[in-house]
Amino acid sequence: MVMSVRDWAVRFSEASDRDQTIGAMAKYFTCTYLWDMGTAKVIVEMVDGKVYRINVDPAPMDAYDFALRASPQTWREFARPIPAPMFHGIWSASFRRDLKIEGNTLALMQNLRNFTVQFELLRKVGVPV
Amino acid sequence: MAKHSPVVGRYVTIDVDGYEYKVFYLRNGTGVPLVCQHTAGCHNHQWRGLLEDPEITANYDVIAYDLARHGKSDPPTNREWWKEEYLLTAEHFMNFITTFCDALELDRPIFMGSSFGGNVALQLALHHPDKFRAVIPVEAAEHAPGFFLDLWRHPHANAAQVCASGVWDLMAPQSPEMDRWQTWHYYTQGAEVFKGDLHFYSVDHDMRGQLGNIDTRRCPVIMMTGTYDYLTPPDATENTARQIPGGIYIEMEDIGHFPMSENYPLFAVYLKEALHIIENKTASSAPA
Repeated sequence: MVMSVRDWAVRFSEASDRDQTIGAMAKYFTCTYLWDMGTAKVIVEMVDGKVYRINVDPAPMDAYDFALRASPQTWREFARPIPAPMFHGIWSASFRRDLKIEGNTLALMQNLRNFTVQFELLRKVGVPV
Repeated sequence: MAKHSPVVGRYVTIDVDGYEYKVFYLRNGTGVPLVCQHTAGCHNHQWRGLLEDPEITANYDVIAYDLARHGKSDPPTNREWWKEEYLLTAEHFMNFITTFCDALELDRPIFMGSSFGGNVALQLALHHPDKFRAVIPVEAAEHAPGFFLDLWRHPHANAAQVCASGVWDLMAPQSPEMDRWQTWHYYTQGAEVFKGDLHFYSVDHDMRGQLGNIDTRRCPVIMMTGTYDYLTPPDATENTARQIPGGIYIEMEDIGHFPMSENYPLFAVYLKEALHIIENKTASSAPA
């Protein structure tokens, strides 16, 4: 059974805020991004390394810096404990699978270390699709 | 009692196309020279496991250098290098390697490189087959476009972290966490040259239509790629090897683009297979 996006938001926030690797370099990890999973969309707002808010029902004009968009199947692959080749990161999936990275990619690069660590939390938290 | 490694480091000064380079290299072992090139934007510590592997160093003289501008090898000492953009070319890269091997008076070494080092290994097999006993291109392909990006050294981002985390998922998730973070750490140290290296990797290196001219009777080619490599995925390397008459391809399961650095024990299994193949090929082709 697929977890609700609200439950996912709570689990993801807790996992991210507790993560020691993010915590070791949390200061200035500030950005807002959209994860478009097809049947679920979330906007995550990060402020100084902590999850400030997760918008689980984004409206058309809700703002974000950058977006990751892929099919629900791809997001489920991201969430496997050990993802299969080409589903093991945002670069691999954008080069070889259907992941699209859109928006202000400079904001992504400015936060790439922590964002990469945070993205891999999906392997523990799962996805709401 | 101090715990010393058997690996020793040394500098040699060479002239390559009018550029004077003071080159740092690490060395350990006895036997057939095995010259190792690190990946783009990195340095020779990627070969730390190989350099201290007694099963290899018992029969091979392992030499891992820092390419100029990387690690402990400085930029050219006779040029105002800061006044020109660094853009590595295939010709200069090859000239650096052959000059370095000549300076050390190596007798037809085996050349092994990963990523851009793997791509230059293919170039060496085509252009300098008599200088090398064999080449082992690791994570290589005839052409590898798409990585020559401005974002690697954008002044509005932390380039060290961009380079290090930008290559993070070139590694397999199964590789030990300590080794992946060590590789990440190395990548924070080469941010200023990464893009210039990738000029060779993604732009100047294009061997499409030339692979059939590689003579593997003079210089055997053993290609190896990990299943988690998204830049040169297994099918790209296999397709490259297939076009080289006598070319050999070995697929490495559950490892990525930095196999010697992210998971040396697993890489060593495949490397020993490659070296065994080279031993057989060079023994049978030796003059009577």
